[in-house]
Amino acid sequence: MTKAKRIDREAGRAYWMMSLPAFLVYLLVMAFPIALSVVLSVSNYSGGKMFGGEAWGFAGFGQYARIVQDPWFWNALKNNFYIVLISVFGQLPLGFIFAYIIYRRIVKWPGFWQGILYLPNIISIIVVGLLWQSIFSPNGPIAELVNLSARHQFEIKLVAVLGSQGHLNLGDDALSRIIALGGPQAANMFTNPVPELRDLIAGYQPNQYSQLLNDLTNLFVTRWTPDFLNQKNVAMLPVLFVILWMYTGMYLILFLANMQKIDTQIIESARIDGANEAQVMRHIILPALSGTIVNSAILAISGSLSSFALIFALTGGGPSRITEILSIYMYNNAFLGRPNFPLANAIALITVVISMLLILVTKAFESRYGGKEE
Amino acid sequence: MVEESRVTTAFGRFSGHVAKGLAYLVMVVFAIMTIYPLFWLAMSSFKSTREYQLNMLGLPKTWVFDNFKMAWDFGEFGKLFPNSIIYTAGTTLGVILLSVLAGFAFAKIPSRATKWIYGSFVIGILLTLNSLMIPLFIEVNVLGIYNTRFAVLLVYIGAGLPIGIYLATEYIKAIPTALIESARIDGAGYFRIFRRIVLPMSIPVATTLAILNITGTWNEFALINILVSKTDLKSLPLGIYKFSGSLSTDYGKQFAALTIGMAPMILFYVVFRKQITKGVAAGAVKG
Repeated sequence: MTKAKRIDREAGRAYWMMSLPAFLVYLLVMAFPIALSVVLSVSNYSGGKMFGGEAWGFAGFGQYARIVQDPWFWNALKNNFYIVLISVFGQLPLGFIFAYIIYRRIVKWPGFWQGILYLPNIISIIVVGLLWQSIFSPNGPIAELVNLSARHQFEIKLVAVLGSQGHLNLGDDALSRIIALGGPQAANMFTNPVPELRDLIAGYQPNQYSQLLNDLTNLFVTRWTPDFLNQKNVAMLPVLFVILWMYTGMYLILFLANMQKIDTQIIESARIDGANEAQVMRHIILPALSGTIVNSAILAISGSLSSFALIFALTGGGPSRITEILSIYMYNNAFLGRPNFPLANAIALITVVISMLLILVTKAFESRYGGKEE
Repeated sequence: MVEESRVTTAFGRFSGHVAKGLAYLVMVVFAIMTIYPLFWLAMSSFKSTREYQLNMLGLPKTWVFDNFKMAWDFGEFGKLFPNSIIYTAGTTLGVILLSVLAGFAFAKIPSRATKWIYGSFVIGILLTLNSLMIPLFIEVNVLGIYNTRFAVLLVYIGAGLPIGIYLATEYIKAIPTALIESARIDGAGYFRIFRRIVLPMSIPVATTLAILNITGTWNEFALINILVSKTDLKSLPLGIYKFSGSLSTDYGKQFAALTIGMAPMILFYVVFRKQITKGVAAGAVKG
């Protein structure tokens, strides 16, 4: 055997010994599940032992037809699409603006702003989901803030009509104005509003003035208990808000890192030659970032189609399935009620295909219109 | 001072002041919106459930530390923390080792297989495992490794490999081939070259991978949720999820659990912020 051949053999052995472990793990975790979902999606496998258990076999493409006809599939897909939209038209532009402000040193302390705005990204999605669930709850801080302010407004008006401690104005006119402050439901509390209210107020000692104010406020100001996450027509909005809140900093980091690759001398000399800030943006920064923008859009798409935990924790897909996304639609079909594994696997496959298609479209868009990158 | 003069010239003196004020306004508003909910959560975790209902927005009047003890015990955080550490450390080390090894092979040992194998990893960057959780669940059951740490580590390492191998390969390509060839001429085998030359030189890319995998694994929920059901094997995010549902009205305890859940990562972030942002920017590559 020649020396060259021996070296080739040694190189070949080293190549495989180094790359095979990674490749095997990859096959097991990525490739095999895809193959499995292809098989199971056209089968009648119903859980249990795959080999040696209940017999199962080919059952046709019925699951795919079923999915396409299921309005909940389209609902979930629509929600995924909203997430893509809020990412591409919310997070990306906002992140870009922040990055630009920091990059051009329009504000001081670049690290400080960057540090704060990226913070939500490193917190567990489950923590974020449960945190915002509390914030949006009917008795949460948002409702509380509105209620406190409503009470405060009411008390100011009440004092203006009722008078100060020891100088109460209990004339018919004043009392009916107080009832008017409370709105229509206040009048409905009494059969004979003005005298009844006078009796009520008369029941308080002069030194119980603040108690009186407090009780009247409680009586007349109804608590606002908005259930943002449980109203069918609005539940998706808080979800999208939280997504915006959580991930905008991510795009700030991406844009800033790539802006910092731009040679500052180009910008400086453009400025000296009389270019204004808008021209610098249009002719230097934007072209230099076009690749990053496309890349971020791809990340947003694949991130959206794979998101699961945030909505799982925040709404669980409710109220009555309205905030389901594809991954939760799939999860529920596999684990809620009677498991339907063929259906869930068909959804998995459809999700993978949609995600790949969207990315291909984005990349085609890039090669067609994309500027110079890297 | 230099920066200031640049901005003044950037917008002209008057409009410069306006633009600056506007920029500060934007940054301050969004910074408060970002940080306040987290601050509010931390403050609420020191209130009793009763005080929370009466004083939702203010600072705690009496600081209650019992919440943390109750949350810790109920959530069995004493079990979750070691598990999270095992998963995070195992995944990070596994991904780094396998990626740098394979990256060396792909970058420096010529082979016709590279195009296919390496190419399949690059495609995998965009394939997010969450959409495959059901087939993964079935596969893990068929293999008989449901409810094992091994399954969690296997899946996590597999999930980290595409981006790991991409970054490692591209990084190692930049190591001068002459360095490796001269070691070959001196009679060194590939594994010796890996240990002596490639691995030490790959520390920067390994750091990036460590950052990506530590933050990713510590917070991961969707996959481990379908891989284990035993408390002894659960990670922190799974344990915290237990505080939704029935406990969501026991505010003090719930907020304490959430605070315990976010504290380690915030600490990690405060210490390694620069490396984290650098790593994230490097790791956000398209396929």
